Amino acid sequence: MKKDYKLPSELRYSKEHEWVKVLEDGTALIGISDYAQDQLHELVYVELPEAGKEVNRMEVIGTVESVKAVSDIYSPISGVILEVNRELTDSPELINQDPYGKGWIVKVKPKNLEPELKELMDSEAYKKYIEKQS
Amino acid sequence: MSMRRTHLYQYHREHGKLIDFAGFEMPVWYEGIIPEHQAVRNSVGLFDVTHMGRAFVEGEGAEAFLDYMLTGEISNLEPMKGLYTLMCNERGGIIDDLIAYRLSDDKFFLVYNASNREKDLRWLEVNSQGFDVSIKEVSDEVAMFSLQGPKAEETLQKLCGEVASLKRFQISRYRIEGWDIMAARTGYTGEDGFELFILDTPLQEPWKAVRFWETLLEAGEEFGVKPCGLGARDTLRLEAGLCLYGNDIDEETNPFEARLRWVVKLEKGRSFIGKEALMRVAEERVRRTRVGIALEERGIPRKGYEIWNEEMIGFVTSGGYSPTLDRGIAMGYVPPEYSKLNTPVRIKIRDRLLKGKIVKFHPFYDESRYGWRRSKG
Repeated sequence: MKKDYKLPSELRYSKEHEWVKVLEDGTALIGISDYAQDQLHELVYVELPEAGKEVNRMEVIGTVESVKAVSDIYSPISGVILEVNRELTDSPELINQDPYGKGWIVKVKPKNLEPELKELMDSEAYKKYIEKQS
Repeated sequence: MSMRRTHLYQYHREHGKLIDFAGFEMPVWYEGIIPEHQAVRNSVGLFDVTHMGRAFVEGEGAEAFLDYMLTGEISNLEPMKGLYTLMCNERGGIIDDLIAYRLSDDKFFLVYNASNREKDLRWLEVNSQGFDVSIKEVSDEVAMFSLQGPKAEETLQKLCGEVASLKRFQISRYRIEGWDIMAARTGYTGEDGFELFILDTPLQEPWKAVRFWETLLEAGEEFGVKPCGLGARDTLRLEAGLCLYGNDIDEETNPFEARLRWVVKLEKGRSFIGKEALMRVAEERVRRTRVGIALEERGIPRKGYEIWNEEMIGFVTSGGYSPTLDRGIAMGYVPPEYSKLNTPVRIKIRDRLLKGKIVKFHPFYDESRYGWRRSKG
């Protein structure tokens, strides 16, 4: 089964398959990529962090579980968690249906954004990265 | 080591997501575990289970040999009937669980786990000395599919009207167009269904088996049949409370603690491997027993997670999300004093202890609504 994954060019991607979207007010949304949701398939449980928590880059901020697999969510950037997508608790499938929209996971106030963004991949580089993985 | 494949490999690769299962490249899902699971619970699904082991055991000494190898009473097995049974070692540990079919007075057919193919065959061969018996493994010459669900009968009847008269655990041989098959009314889902053995389908010539697979899918189209992967096979068997070898039972588990006493015939006339050890175990109080747990909080128990009461009391051996109950369910072993229905227990998931309780688990679901015993209509 071959698939074309949606990889919006305005996002930055991590090797662990999270995405970061910097908003106009300087905050950033974090979620998992279309590729990640497709690999996990059929998410049935999401464990979310508490708002207010301070996180470092690459720290585990939650867990997503499909019928078959468990996967940690790493924060691709450092900062403070401002908001958590509570809708995912009852509807984890939002991540499958709309990984970059309704399936966002946390909103963060970044601490060290510019240098950390440089560590992430743009959509072209990420596309090549996942092609190598599959 | 290169991965093994079944006749359906090209189909699986094109339509499904492949994983390694017991050294085989098999589909974990095609469309998704949940829709496939639901197709089987509510209508019909088709599985390729060619990775499983199959062997004919033949000869004048076949009955005596299998009575010696297996915990069930083979001498009492009628022709064209199957028996769920165990093969144990001298210590009473479970080497494998399997189905033994009697095809005639001196011909039997064994169907065993993919993960134990080599081990079982070796164990049978090593112990066959002194018996007038020949063991012929046919796993690579006989494709095996499983058609499961409340609409399995109607689906298969379209190709072969006679299958409707097949009773549970019976096996029979049928001619369907150009295919010579054996069909048994068995399965691993808790639902009504058939396990189909397509004779004379060597792996090197896959098309005959592939064509049968497609014919079954066409027959089931009006019922919304779905090809199903190993993911749904696992969630279905878990909901039905059926053991998975390597998870819920193994050589360190005895049949009594696994709640499989009903398949151990200590009273049968012939001696069998493991009988003496099992007679001793039968006298003792079991130290632990297999139970079913349903979580009351959101979370998904998985193999290896700890089961708690006041303290840690055991481990989950199989767990997952139950699409039918929409909650996390598990099987595991705990001391007998915690095995009563409704006993509160907790399962440790990462750093949290999630609330659950001991529930009826064979099966977990409501049998008036799901499973082969459900009322029809």
